[in-house]
Amino acid sequence: MATPLLEIEDLYAGVDGKEIIKGFNLTINAGEIHALMGPNGAGKSTLSNILCGKPGYHVTSGRILFKGQDLLKFSAEDRAREGLFLSMQYPVEIPGVSITSFLKHAVNAVRQYKGEDELDTMEFIKILRQEGKKLGLDADMIKRDVNVGFSGGEKKRLETLQMSILKPTLAILDEADSGLDIDALRVVAEGVNALHTNDNALLVITHYQRLLNYIVPDFVHIYADGKIVKTGGKELAMELEQKGYAEFVKERND
Amino acid sequence: MTKLLQDIKLIGDEIPWLKDFRQKGKDEFISQGIPTAKTEAWKYTKPNRFLANDFSFCPQGSKDISPYSIEVPFKACQIYFENGIFSHHDELPEGIEVLPLIEVIMFHHDLRDKIGALAEIKAHPFAALNSAYLNEGVYIHISANVTTPIVFVNHITPQPNGNMYNLRNLVVVDDNSSAEVVEYYCYEGDIKSSYLVNVVNEIYIGCGAALKHYKVQDEAFKAGHIALNSVKIKADGLYQSFCLQKGADLSRNETKVVLAEEGATTEVNAAYMMNGWATIDTTTDIEHLKPFTKSLQLVKGVIGGQAKGVFQGKIHIAPQAVKTEGYQLHKAMLLSDEAEVDVKPELEIFADDVKCSHGSASGELDQEQLFYMQSRGVGKDKAKQILIDAYLNDVIAKIDNENIRLWVKSFIGEHD
Repeated sequence: MATPLLEIEDLYAGVDGKEIIKGFNLTINAGEIHALMGPNGAGKSTLSNILCGKPGYHVTSGRILFKGQDLLKFSAEDRAREGLFLSMQYPVEIPGVSITSFLKHAVNAVRQYKGEDELDTMEFIKILRQEGKKLGLDADMIKRDVNVGFSGGEKKRLETLQMSILKPTLAILDEADSGLDIDALRVVAEGVNALHTNDNALLVITHYQRLLNYIVPDFVHIYADGKIVKTGGKELAMELEQKGYAEFVKERND
Repeated sequence: MTKLLQDIKLIGDEIPWLKDFRQKGKDEFISQGIPTAKTEAWKYTKPNRFLANDFSFCPQGSKDISPYSIEVPFKACQIYFENGIFSHHDELPEGIEVLPLIEVIMFHHDLRDKIGALAEIKAHPFAALNSAYLNEGVYIHISANVTTPIVFVNHITPQPNGNMYNLRNLVVVDDNSSAEVVEYYCYEGDIKSSYLVNVVNEIYIGCGAALKHYKVQDEAFKAGHIALNSVKIKADGLYQSFCLQKGADLSRNETKVVLAEEGATTEVNAAYMMNGWATIDTTTDIEHLKPFTKSLQLVKGVIGGQAKGVFQGKIHIAPQAVKTEGYQLHKAMLLSDEAEVDVKPELEIFADDVKCSHGSASGELDQEQLFYMQSRGVGKDKAKQILIDAYLNDVIAKIDNENIRLWVKSFIGEHD
């Protein structure tokens, strides 16, 4: 059997000296879509930040393997270059840096890492425009500064555009549906689905079942108090929507 | 006293006007001395620390014509100085006259009054020192709308002993004439060489005239650079300046603008960036003397290592200068815990019915932005560089001439 894309084993981790993740286990194989659902404050964002190497977070014990390699040994930029992507819940605005120039730096940094030739500007702009168009981001939009003055929906589209340009092996979507109206949600979900192949995987972190109508998971995990308390198929999300989280958190306590 | 003042015989000492001018400078420098932390106008910059190295004036450099010129990526007319000594200039377009200053003093007595009339030596010890050695520099006379930028280069090839180079320029822009002047200070050789460049520019802008004055200070790492730009603008005249200071261990660019008649406008913009133990000082003094005058200032700096940025900005509005506008904004980004910035804004408003504002802010590199870029594969150093460029982008954008703007941008290089 092929090496899983991601293996998290008995992870204990947190931020600012506070333990938030307590005994977390998860394995994701190529071709799979996993959904991680949990109430506010369960530590969902802590998990995605740790995976992507955000400063300030610590790992106490356990291990994380990405394509069989110790993920924690890589810098944040090398994780991205290795094929990890985080679509952020709150993408930051970067005034003075255009989307085009930022993404060109990003794409070429990844290509250089892989020993590939850098793209020239014309070639890159052509690809960016094509991909942007699919997500309803026109050429004028792409000329603007990164996320500056973007609505919640536009920011999420831009995250998806970055994903389509960088073509990650494992993409984590952190609350990709927050701030989206139904049309924007559909566009983002279609964009994400179009990128999904047998060679890559998705981890969708969400509060609500809504997004999972569009990005259909193979596995649904319920996350509470720092660990996965229940795993099931896509029907588990429906069940959760009806019963609420309290039911599952209680179940575990009993 | 320091070696900065030496008893040496200079060319032209036999001219009474010049001998007297130099003597006044010398007397004034002796009476003021090198500024210390107790000198209000220099309290943050403290040049005495730097000048402990003791620089000596190099009286007779080689007068040979230097074969060099500096490549700039745009069409320009170059006035070239090698080690503080005027070497040559390119063929001049219509409407520009360039003469060595000493020639002006000898043969154009009518222009003598303009020398020393704007650059006060009373409160400026380095201007006094500059006057004591008055000799090298040029007179630039603009009498038309000149489109080719004039690039004034002072190229230093450092000598082993710490030399001091005094430069004095006089710029006169006639009524309804205009030009762009770029000052470029650079060196070749050992980055650690120590020398001192002391410049005074006196700039007269006529009615309806315009001067765009850009400057790049890229001196060696342990050099000193002190500059005073004194400007006087007549009715409806414009003086627009941009200065990038990035080299030297101690650097000060001081700009004093007198808006002497109605409708005079000035824009004084600057950027600075440094590392190590450098101190870089931007000092401005804008005097609104008449109604309907306007001044705008934007200064931005990036400070790393244990370096220190200084901004002192003064706006003075005289009682009769109603309907004037004066705006000033300074921003600094501190890249390390030991980096420091000292800011002293001064507003002296004696007129009613004016619009005036000033502001200052300092911050750090935004860690969220940095992480965001890294999480897309951009290396940390590259990401920092992109963010620094972006930070300075709005002030650099104030340079109207696109070729000059891109050239200035090329100096904003690696930083940690």
